[in-house]
Amino acid sequence: MEFSDITAFLPILLKGALITVQITIGALLLSTLLGLLLALMKLSPVRAFSITAGTFINVVRGLPIIVQLFYIYFVLPELGIQLSALQASIIGLGVAYSAYQAENFRAGIEAIEAGQIEAARSIGMKSKLIMRRVVLPQAIRIALPPYGNTAVMILKDSSLASTITVAEMTRAGQLIAASTFQNTTVYTLVALLYLCLSLPLIFGVNRLERYFGKSAKGGKS
Amino acid sequence: MININAIHKSFGDVEVLKGVSLTVAKGEVVCLIGPSGSGKSTVLRCINGLESYDQGSITINDRQVDVASKDINDLRTQVGMVFQRFNLFPHRTVVENVMEGPIFVKNEPREKAQVQAIALLEKVGLGDKVHAYPQQLSGGQQQRVAIARALAMQPEAILFDEPTSALDPELVGDVLTVMRDLANEGMTMVVVTHEMSFAKEVADRVCFLYGGQIVESGDAHTLLTQPSHERTQDFLRRVLNH
Ligand SMILES: Nc1ncnc2c1ncn2[C@@H]1O[C@H](COP(=O)(O)OP(=O)(O)OP(=O)(O)O)[C@@H](O)[C@H]1O
Ligand SMILES: [Mg+2]
Repeated sequence: MEFSDITAFLPILLKGALITVQITIGALLLSTLLGLLLALMKLSPVRAFSITAGTFINVVRGLPIIVQLFYIYFVLPELGIQLSALQASIIGLGVAYSAYQAENFRAGIEAIEAGQIEAARSIGMKSKLIMRRVVLPQAIRIALPPYGNTAVMILKDSSLASTITVAEMTRAGQLIAASTFQNTTVYTLVALLYLCLSLPLIFGVNRLERYFGKSAKGGKS
Repeated sequence: MININAIHKSFGDVEVLKGVSLTVAKGEVVCLIGPSGSGKSTVLRCINGLESYDQGSITINDRQVDVASKDINDLRTQVGMVFQRFNLFPHRTVVENVMEGPIFVKNEPREKAQVQAIALLEKVGLGDKVHAYPQQLSGGQQQRVAIARALAMQPEAILFDEPTSALDPELVGDVLTVMRDLANEGMTMVVVTHEMSFAKEVADRVCFLYGGQIVESGDAHTLLTQPSHERTQDFLRRVLNH
């Protein structure tokens, strides 16, 4: 590895890293909103909602993410919906991960025992107060560590955007390697940069898990 | 103060309460006994509006209990409930569990609520567990926290639904002691229990519920030692001999 190579490649790779971060944040936000909506629909007593959400979640989970990306990028334009490659990758990953987010959120809400909610009602707490003081604080504690894991997965899977021409970090690496043949240098750098992004997230998740494990977990009595 | 007048309640096609009437005066301790599925829990749940009823009426100090009304949360603050499975909030400490209602329902200042909560916890013998989390306590201790949480709302009556059934035998005594003290202080109590010795000693009146109806009721000593109804005799023979 030449030091000059590194200084030459790094700015290009960092530009790619910026797009990687954009895709990750965009897809994380989209999957969070869509996931919450799906979770609430699935828990809804209205059967039409829960069936729709359940079907959507199963279909999305049953498809490879790369196929979903191709579908959005190559097929939607034929139906008259034009998206940039970056938009397509954010939407594709966001939709794909919304199914996992939904299951995660649902598990968090369902983990709160009905008895606690009754106890809250029996001291005169109203539904909104119960949501705020009893259900959500516990649901967030339960859902936050898996949420962090999902963020790590999205970060890594953002490399799939390279298959639909988005010049994120993996694609930037491929382009440099193809023209310089410095495979070792390039892909080592790419790997290190991914670790720079993912390891802090992973450590954060571990800390959260330890923190919540120490105070109060679950409703075991 | 609690007046139940011929209430009926069905779950789907099954009628589980078939005209239950019961009056509980201020300061009175009434024990509800009866076999599993006879509707004991359902009666308690109707009294503080956790469950609606189909016919009849329930009033608390002459105010109608109606699950759909705006009033219901206010009524619930007047009648506390203690559950078989404690149902504490696991993400809050013992003292926070007790302060939750006073602070967020009654809008009391935190300092005042905390002083009161600690006093109540001392009263139930848990002055040294104030900052523990519920899952660090034994079942008996958790149940006493649950009693303190109900007391913190300064209710006029407390409903107990088999408060000692989920406890190991050696932990039952502490909870019953707290309940006995409450009764002696004049708290109005409706207690669903299988602890016949507690009923005999503490209850002013015992009602035997069978198949959704109160088959027999009377002063504790008479009903438990000389029941007149055959069903009551059967039931008592079984619980006392097990
Ligand atoms: N939410 C519900 N939905 C349907 N049926 C119910 C519901 N709650 C209670 N029941 C039924 O109503 C009947 C009375 O139940 P309840 O819990 O009041 O009995 P119980 O006397 O408290 O019994 P146990 O001693 O087992 O606690 C039972 O047959 C029970 O299966
Ligand atoms: Mg019961």
